[in-house]
Amino acid sequence: MSMNAKRHVRLSLAWLTLLIFWAGGRVSAQVTPDRVERVAEVLEELIETYGVSGDEERVRDVVVRQLPEWAEPEIDDVGNLWVRAGQGDPVVVFIAHLDEVGFQITEILADGTAQLRTRGGFYPNLWEATPALIHTGAGPVPAIFMPRDTVADPPARRPPDGFRLSAGTATRAATEALGIRVGDTVSNPKEFVRLGATRATARSFDDRAGSTAQLLAVQALDLDALDHEVIFIWSVQEEAGLVGAGVAADAPGFTPARVHAIDTFVSSAAPIDRQNFAYAPLGSGPVARGVDSSSVTPRAVLDAFLELAEGHALPLQVGATNGGTDGTPFRDWGVPHMPFGWPLRYSHSPVELIDLEDVVVLVDLIKLVAEEW
Amino acid sequence: MAQITNFLHLHQFVGDLDCRTGASGSGILGVPKPIMVSVNRTFFRRALAVAAYLVVAASVSAQTTPEFADRFVAMTAVTGYEQRMAETLVDWLPFADRDRAGNVVAVIGSGSPVRLAVCPMDERGYIVGRILDDGFLTLRRVGGGGPLFDQGLEGHRVAVWTDGGPVPGVVSIPSTHLGRGRASQPDRPFDVDDAIIDVGADSAADVAALGVRVLDAVALAKRAHRYGESLLAGPEAGRRAGCAALARAASTVASGEVLGTVVIAFVVESYLRHSGLRVVARTHGPFSATWLIDYEVPDRALGEDFGGVERSRLPVRFEATPVETVDLVDADALSDRLIAWAGTQP
Repeated sequence: MSMNAKRHVRLSLAWLTLLIFWAGGRVSAQVTPDRVERVAEVLEELIETYGVSGDEERVRDVVVRQLPEWAEPEIDDVGNLWVRAGQGDPVVVFIAHLDEVGFQITEILADGTAQLRTRGGFYPNLWEATPALIHTGAGPVPAIFMPRDTVADPPARRPPDGFRLSAGTATRAATEALGIRVGDTVSNPKEFVRLGATRATARSFDDRAGSTAQLLAVQALDLDALDHEVIFIWSVQEEAGLVGAGVAADAPGFTPARVHAIDTFVSSAAPIDRQNFAYAPLGSGPVARGVDSSSVTPRAVLDAFLELAEGHALPLQVGATNGGTDGTPFRDWGVPHMPFGWPLRYSHSPVELIDLEDVVVLVDLIKLVAEEW
Repeated sequence: MAQITNFLHLHQFVGDLDCRTGASGSGILGVPKPIMVSVNRTFFRRALAVAAYLVVAASVSAQTTPEFADRFVAMTAVTGYEQRMAETLVDWLPFADRDRAGNVVAVIGSGSPVRLAVCPMDERGYIVGRILDDGFLTLRRVGGGGPLFDQGLEGHRVAVWTDGGPVPGVVSIPSTHLGRGRASQPDRPFDVDDAIIDVGADSAADVAALGVRVLDAVALAKRAHRYGESLLAGPEAGRRAGCAALARAASTVASGEVLGTVVIAFVVESYLRHSGLRVVARTHGPFSATWLIDYEVPDRALGEDFGGVERSRLPVRFEATPVETVDLVDADALSDRLIAWAGTQP
C-alpha cells in the first residue's frame, strides 16, 4: 500500500471513529469533525518538525508558511516571530512558544560519544536507552541515548550522572565526519498519534498546540472587527528561561495593555497525578490559568475573561497549575497577564496527551478575545 | 534444485481463490462451461500458481538480511501471542507453514541427514491485566525481564494488540511541572505494577469500543532505528536480527541445493517453557544436528532428539534495553554461514 493510500485509510478510520463517538462528548457546539481534523493537520506538521530551545527556525518556517496573505511577519533579533493586526490602543499581545525541551551537545569525547546538557526541565530517565536524533546543520543524524554503563544494586530509577549519546561511531573524528558538532540540539524522534476518538499523544504539544491554536485564530481573524492593535508573537527559548519573551517584553516603545500567554495548562486529571489542584479534565474545554508558579492574574481580569467566554457559550475551565509562561516578563512592566491554554497530561514527557476538541475551542477563544476584549 | 515440500500449499491457495470466484466451474451466469475450458482452467491454475510462487520467491529472496532485520525488529510477538508475526512470516516465506503450535516451519530438501536451524519469534512483554472503570488499563508481565526492563515502559507509547489490530496507548507518567516543590519521584525503578495505560478513553465502555479486552498483548510501540554505518537498535534486536539472518538463508536455500533435509523453524514461547521447540522436535525430528540461533535453551530441555547442538548469538550492545543494538554486518555474515551449512555435510 502506498504512503498516500495508507494516509487515506488512516484518515478515513479517524473520521469513522470520530463520528461514532461524536454524539457522546462534544465539548461545544462550535466543535465539528472537520475542525478537529484541521487542528490535527496543522498540529501534526508542527509536532513532527523539530525545534529544541535555541533551534526553532524550522518550526517558525512552518508557521510563517501558513500565515494569511494579509500578515506581514517580522522576526526580531532573538528569533521571535511577530504578526500585527489592527491599529490603535489598547494593544493586546498573544504569545505562544515555538520551542520544545531537549538536549544540546556540549562535548564530543575521544570515543565518539557525546556529552549533553538539558534544555528545559524533565525526568531524564525517560530518555535513557531510547532512539535519538541529532539536529545538525546538514539535517538529522540518528543516534541513541545510551543506557547507563552499570546497574547499581539496588537499581535506581535515575541514571547516575546523566547519560551520553552514541551515533554508532568509535572516534571523535568519525562523529564529526557525520556532521555532528558541539552546540547541535538533540531530541528523540517524534510522531503525532491519534488516541481514541478525539485525543492525541506526542512530545511537544507544549507548546505546539498553543502555536497551532494561535495560527488558526490568526487565519480566522476578522480584521474588520478589530478596533485596536493585536500582536501575535511566536517566541523562542521559552523552555530555556523565557528568553524570547524577555526580549519581546523589553522591546522599545512597546507597553501593551494586556498579555495572554497561550500555553499548556498542566492538568492533574490522570490517576498517576495527585489531584489536589490543577484538576482540569480533558475534553471539557480550555483553561484559564488563574495562578501558576510565576503569575497571579488579578481577580477582576480573570472574572472579565470568564464572563466573556460564558457570554459566547464557549466552555472555559479555571484553575491553578505549576510552571511559568511567556507572559511573566511582561509582568515586570506592569502588564496585566491572563494566560490560558488547554489541559494536558504527562507534561514534558515523550507522551504528552491532549484532547483535540479543547484546541478547537481554544482557537475560538483566542479569536474572541482578540476581536472583542 | 531443492524440493519445496510446501509448493502444494500455494497451489491449493490459488485454487481456493478460483473456487471462490468461479462458482464450481460454472460461468458467471451459472451456465456450465465446455470440458475443454475446464482443462484449460486447470492448466491456467497451475501456470498461475507457478508464476505466483516464482514472483513471491524472487521478491523474498531478493531481500537482504538488513531489510529482513528492519522488518523483524519492528514486529511485536509477545510470548504466547506470536500469531500475527507467524502469519507475516508465512507471507514472506511462502514455502513455510504454521504448525499446530504456531511455529513457522519450512522443510527443504529430503532424505538424511535431517538437520534443524531454529530461532525464537517471541519477546518479553505484557498483557492487559485489568480495565478500570475510568478507562485506564493495568498490566501483567509475560516472559520476565531484568531490573530495569519495566522502566522502558514509563512515559512511552505502547500498542495494545487487539483482534482488530494494534490500538495505540501511552504509559502514564507524573507531569514534570506538578512534581515541583512536592515529594519527588521515587528512586526505585519503575515497575509493571506502576504502569497505568491511557488509550484516550474515559470509561470501560470507551475501551471496549476500541476493541481492547483483558489479556490482549501489550508492547512498546516499535520501529527499526538504524544508526551509525550498519547498526540497528530496538527491543530484542539481537534475536530479531538472528531470525532475519535465518529468514534470508531460508529464502536463499529454498531455491538452491541443500544436503539431505534442512528444517528451518521460527518457534513460539521460548520465554515460557520451550513448547514450540518441543513440537518441532516431535513432528520433524529426530535431528542429526541442531543450530540454535539467539536461543538460550537449557541442555536439559533438549535431549537426544536434537543431535549435535551448535549455539550462536549475535554480539549486541546495550543488551535487554529498548535500544539493544546489533551490527547488521554480523547478521549478514551469520546468514551466509547458515546458507553454507545447509549445503554441507555436518
